[in-house]
Amino acid sequence: MNYEYSQKEFELLIELFQMVTDFAADHPMDSGTADCRQNIQEALEKLGQTPYLKLGVEHVEEYNGVVTLMGAMEVVALVSPSLFLSAEYGVRVLGRALAKWGSQQQKDEFLRPLVSGTAMGAMALCEKTVNVDNEPLATTGEKQGDKIIINGRKQFVVNGPVAKIIGIAGTYDGKPAIFIVDKDTPGLVNHETEGALGYKGTAVSEITLTDCAVDETRVIGCSEKENMVSSLRLWENQVLTGASLGLMRASFENARDHAKSHRTGGKPIIAYQEVGFKLAEMLTLFQTSQMLAIRAAWTSETSPKEAVDLTLCAKVFCTESAAQVSGEAMRILGSSAYFGSNPVERAYCCARYGEIFGTSTELSRVKLGDAALGIKP
Amino acid sequence: MDFGFTKEQQMFKKEIIRFARKEIVPRVQEFDLQKKFDFESFRKLGEFGILGLHFPEEYGGGGADVITTVMAGEALGEAGVDGGLTLAYGAHSFLCADTIFKHGTEAQRKKYIPKLCSGEWIGCMGLTEPDAGSDVASMKSTAEKKGDKYVLNGSKIFITNAPIADVSVVYAKTDPDGKHQGISAFIVEKDTPGYTCGEPLIKMGVRTSQTSEQFFSNCEIPAENLLGKEGDGFNMSLQTVEWDRSALLAPFVGVSTYMLKRCADYAKKRVQFGRSIGEFQATKRKLANIRIFGEAARSLVYRIAWYKDQGKPLNHLEAAVAKLFVGDWSMGPANDAMILHGGYGYCHEYDMERIFRDSRLAPIGGGTSDIQKMIISKLM
Ligand SMILES: Cc1cc2nc3c(=O)[nH]c(=O)nc-3n(C[C@H](O)[C@H](O)[C@H](O)COP(=O)(O)OP(=O)(O)OC[C@H]3O[C@@H](n4cnc5c(N)ncnc54)[C@H](O)[C@@H]3O)c2cc1C
Repeated sequence: MNYEYSQKEFELLIELFQMVTDFAADHPMDSGTADCRQNIQEALEKLGQTPYLKLGVEHVEEYNGVVTLMGAMEVVALVSPSLFLSAEYGVRVLGRALAKWGSQQQKDEFLRPLVSGTAMGAMALCEKTVNVDNEPLATTGEKQGDKIIINGRKQFVVNGPVAKIIGIAGTYDGKPAIFIVDKDTPGLVNHETEGALGYKGTAVSEITLTDCAVDETRVIGCSEKENMVSSLRLWENQVLTGASLGLMRASFENARDHAKSHRTGGKPIIAYQEVGFKLAEMLTLFQTSQMLAIRAAWTSETSPKEAVDLTLCAKVFCTESAAQVSGEAMRILGSSAYFGSNPVERAYCCARYGEIFGTSTELSRVKLGDAALGIKP
Repeated sequence: MDFGFTKEQQMFKKEIIRFARKEIVPRVQEFDLQKKFDFESFRKLGEFGILGLHFPEEYGGGGADVITTVMAGEALGEAGVDGGLTLAYGAHSFLCADTIFKHGTEAQRKKYIPKLCSGEWIGCMGLTEPDAGSDVASMKSTAEKKGDKYVLNGSKIFITNAPIADVSVVYAKTDPDGKHQGISAFIVEKDTPGYTCGEPLIKMGVRTSQTSEQFFSNCEIPAENLLGKEGDGFNMSLQTVEWDRSALLAPFVGVSTYMLKRCADYAKKRVQFGRSIGEFQATKRKLANIRIFGEAARSLVYRIAWYKDQGKPLNHLEAAVAKLFVGDWSMGPANDAMILHGGYGYCHEYDMERIFRDSRLAPIGGGTSDIQKMIISKLM
């Protein structure tokens, strides 16, 4: 057993925190203003010079894969949730798919630019509904001559409007597959999805594919035994778990600092048990989430079978805790959170995403119940 | 980071579970009903080596590290051992024996530790008083030095194992005007004149553990029964917190695994509306809640254990987080488990109502949830 990150890992977390904080100081990424997208792209290039984008995707000496990643995700999501989401959906999830199932040629062509931060990616999974667990994918690729013709409709594609490399999950020859499609492929239409509650700097779209023709080299398949959609979901759940840690930390730290400095009745409000004890509960949820998230990540590296359920436990616990902690932080900041944008209000809005997307809280509980009953997915 | 257990630890855990299921668990419900202490099971815990697990072998212990010791507590819970017996074990091995071991003289160690490890003697720890619970420093019991004796006066309440204990660690003030620094710790043996216990208190849960008052009325004990130095008592009681937040919480983690298994078994065979209730999503939600709580609590409890094994001083904030989480967040899953069993869950025939009752001690004993919040909010 070992409950501590190594010195090397720890240094990476500090470096990431500094880098993103410095950059974010004069490059807004979460405000929803037009420059956010460009800033996120630039930040991604900076992240590409660190090991961050490669963690969990490929082996990086002296780091511990997804275990290190969980801590790093917390730090990035803490400073800029929108950068975080763009990086995770755009690079990590698609990158992991390429690393796991892609051919050498696909890795060279797509994975290199993604993990070096020079190309923005997207991974389109959801269709009619967010739930892809009991709705088979309707997007298909069919071979016609030497091309694959893709038809389908994808929703809530994070980075959809800005991605160069888009992974489209669907079926090919009746088997699960991911098609790598360029943004300019004829037949691919991006409709921006507007009015998001949180992650305001991240572009999201609905993508329709009508007779999109790609080369067969653009198809990523997997073996019969593997469940591609489950893997994608698991990675996405890890992302949302990591986001929750960052959002909780932002909420907690801001609320704590406010409670120590804001005074009423002649004392700082943390001195009132209604506030101090609330903060104690928030910190308890945050620390418990951290421990559970990192242990689930460690399990995914050491015994992937056990990690399936544990990842769901972490996902449910951390995302629900983030929603709760950010809500309580709003109350502690009071009027200063309600009026005007600040990290707590931002975290409060972003935290809602985590409960809904990935394997939703409700569906996760059903799956965990099934696991307890010995019902195989 | 690494959250793995060694092969030996995993095997040992399985052995404990096997042992407890065979030797202890079949007796649990009956003893709970009778509100009686199960001496035979306690002795078996001693024989198996659990009572003295973390003490050095030369004192009759098992020489185990903290992780293994905590794992033993988890294993007992997972096997289905009741909270009364695991509490009695905790008070005996950690609150009493460990304090004597850490602060006692070599002669005291030799005299008490082997007998406490084997279970031949039972130990307890008297800190709480009728008017001094959370506010320990306001205790009124006194110990006055007279020649080569100390004379103890005062009373204690809610003391686990008191009515059956052979030896007690008792806290009293050697400086009645001093606050924390006025408190000292003493060893008191059961037949010492002037020392008596009340009748066992009737409790909501952990009923097989015997809890009572302790009365000291001009109770004279040899001066060498002072543990450490005068005024060290409060710090000694703080040191037991390390065990309190790891080994004493571990059974709650184990019990969640036990509940999950029992609930799943019940959900599979109980049929309503023509289907097993496990097919209803509302049932699955309950199972999921139990699982999630157990996994979350597990990480926190072993964190305290791991740092203790590294020889690091206790992080009081992390300890309070573990205690608060187990105390306050265990209510939901215990409730879910009971309700999942419907009317049977409310009746003694199934052990879910007992587990619910037992679990309600978690936010009170060893420092209430409010006190944990106080600690956390001060240290944050
Ligand atoms: C089954 C059982 C076994 C026990 N075993 C032992 C034992 O072996 N040895 C031993 O010494 N003791 C033992 N105890 C005692 C236990 O540690 C105390 O009950 C506990 O510390 C609380 O003290 P109290 O009961 O006096 O409650 P009080 O301190 O009177 O608290 C009453 C209520 O007020 C709240 N409160 C108190 N102070 C504050 C504050 N500052 N801010 C906010 N809220 C506050 C508390 O949280 C609680 O809700 C046992 C208790 C039980 C129930």
